[in-house]
Amino acid sequence: MTAMLALADVEVRYGRLVALRGLSLEVGQGEIVCLIGPNGAGKSTTMAAIAGGVARVAGSIRFEGTELPARKPERIARLGLSLVPEGRHVFGTLTVEENLRIGGYMRPNARESAAALERVAGYFPKLKERWRAPAGRLSGGEQQMLSIGRALMTNPRLVMVDEPSLGLAPLIVDTVYEILLELREREGLTLLINEQSSHRILRFADRIYVIRNGAIQLHGTADELRDGEAIKAAYFGFGASVAQAGAPSGAAA
Amino acid sequence: MINFLQNVIDALSLGSLYALVALGIGLLFGILRLVNFAHGDFITIGAYSLILPSTNVVATMVIGSWHWAVLIPVVCAIVVVVAMATDVFVFRPLRRSSAPTLMIASFAVSYMIQNGVLMMYGARPKAVNLWSALTTQVTIGGLREPVLQIVTIGTTIGLMLVMSLFLKHARWGVQMRAAAEDFLMAQYLGVRGNFVIGLAFAVSGILAAAVSLLFLAQTGALSNVMGVPLALFAFVAVVVGGMGSLPGAVVGGFLVGIVTTMLQAYLPPDLRVFRDAFTFTFVIVVLLVRPAGLIPSRSIAERV
Repeated sequence: MTAMLALADVEVRYGRLVALRGLSLEVGQGEIVCLIGPNGAGKSTTMAAIAGGVARVAGSIRFEGTELPARKPERIARLGLSLVPEGRHVFGTLTVEENLRIGGYMRPNARESAAALERVAGYFPKLKERWRAPAGRLSGGEQQMLSIGRALMTNPRLVMVDEPSLGLAPLIVDTVYEILLELREREGLTLLINEQSSHRILRFADRIYVIRNGAIQLHGTADELRDGEAIKAAYFGFGASVAQAGAPSGAAA
Repeated sequence: MINFLQNVIDALSLGSLYALVALGIGLLFGILRLVNFAHGDFITIGAYSLILPSTNVVATMVIGSWHWAVLIPVVCAIVVVVAMATDVFVFRPLRRSSAPTLMIASFAVSYMIQNGVLMMYGARPKAVNLWSALTTQVTIGGLREPVLQIVTIGTTIGLMLVMSLFLKHARWGVQMRAAAEDFLMAQYLGVRGNFVIGLAFAVSGILAAAVSLLFLAQTGALSNVMGVPLALFAFVAVVVGGMGSLPGAVVGGFLVGIVTTMLQAYLPPDLRVFRDAFTFTFVIVVLLVRPAGLIPSRSIAERV
C-alpha cells in the first residue's frame, strides 16, 4: 500500500523550542488514523505542519505522491487536504452560511459550490436551523459541526480533525464521531484525528500512533493495541514496555 | 438655529472625510494588523497626480483639467497602483513580522512618499483650482451651504454603502471579512492570503483617492504633507471607534469631525487655538470610559 499521506523525519521548531523531532507517520487511503498523546506532545504541530501553517525545518511531507510545500496553506487546501483545527476557529462574526461558503469559494464554479452547500447542510440539520446566526453565537458542539462542515466544503479527500472532543460534553462527542464515521462511509474520506485520550479512539480508529516529545513512540492497529497497556506505557514514557508493542516507526525515546 | 445647522453640516462634511480615511486605515488594520500611517500620503499622491510634475511655483493641471468622469477613475487607478505596489514591495516581504515592525515600515513608506513628492514637485505648497463650480452655495430654507459639503457627505454615504454591500455579499468581501477575523484559518480553507491583502490595499487606495479629490476641492492647496494631519486624526478616530471594527472607524471618524468642528465654532475665541488639545482630551475621556473603543471588534476581543 502506498500511503496517501506520508511524513518522514519531520522536524519543526518554534524559535529554540523543538516541537517535532524527526516525526514519521503514514495514512492510507480510506483509513481512520489517530494520533494520541499528552498535551504539548506535538499533535497540533504535526497537523499544522501538514496543512502548511508552520515552517518545516527538515523532513518530507507527501500527499498523494506530491511533496507538500511548507507555509503555503492555501495551496495545500487546494490539493484536497483540509484541517479542522483545535478550538474550531469558526469565523464568529460571519453567519453559519458564510462560514460554509468560505470553504466553497475555491471550487471551480458557483453551481458546484451551491450543490456542496446543500449536501453539507444535509449532514448537519442543526446548522440548517441556525443558518443566518453569527457563528460566534453557536454552542461548542454546533461550532464543531460547523468547523467540520466548512472543511467538507473545500472538497477534501483527507480531513485532519484536531481534538474534536475538546471542551464538549460526552454525548456531543459521540455525535461528532458518528458524523465523522458517516462521512467516511458516504464521502469516502480519509481521516487523521488527534485526541488526548485513547478509550473512544480504540473503538473506531483503524490505526493508532502514540506521540510524545515530538516523536512517535508507538504505532499499531487498533486491534493490536486493544488492551491499552502498551498505549499507556508509550503515552507516559515507561521505556520498558514500549519495545514489546507494535513496531515503532519513529525513534523511541 | 440656522447657524447651528450650518455648523452641523460642516461637522458632518469634515466627519465624512475623517470617516473615509479611518475606513481605509481600519480595513488594513483588520486584515493585516497594520497601522498604515502612509495612508495619508496615498491621499497626497492622489492630489498631486492631478498636476504636471515640475518644481514650478504655478501648478499646471493635466489630469486635473479632464472631465470628472475620466478624472475620478484615473486618480483612483493611480492611487490603487501606488497602494498595491506598497504592499508588494514593502509589506509582503514583512508578512510574518510583528505589528510594530509593520507600523514602522509604514512610517518609512510615508517619509519616502513625502520626500519623493518634494523632489518631483518642489517644497512650496501650490494652489490648485479643482471643481470650483462646487464651491457655489445653494440655499435650502435659509441654510446657505456650498455644494461641495453636500457632495462630500453624499460621496461618503455612497462609498460606505457600496463597501458594506461588497463586504456583506460579494465572495471577495466575505473572504476579506473571514481573513480579517482569522487569517490563517481562512488560508487553511483555501482563501488566497496575498490576494485578499492586495484587495484590501486596493480598496483603501480607492478610499484615499476619494478623500484626496474631496479634500483638494475644499482646500485648493497642495503640499507634500497634506495627508499627514488627515491620517493622524483618522487614526485617532479608528482608536476611538474600536481598532479592527469598520463601523467603529466610521463612527469614530464622524465623531472626531463633529467634535473638532463644534469646538471650532463654540469655544471662546481665546481658546480656539487650543482646539486640538480639547479634541484629544475628549478622545482620552472616551478611551477611559471605553478602553476598547466605542464599537469594539468582536474578533479582537475574543483573542484577548
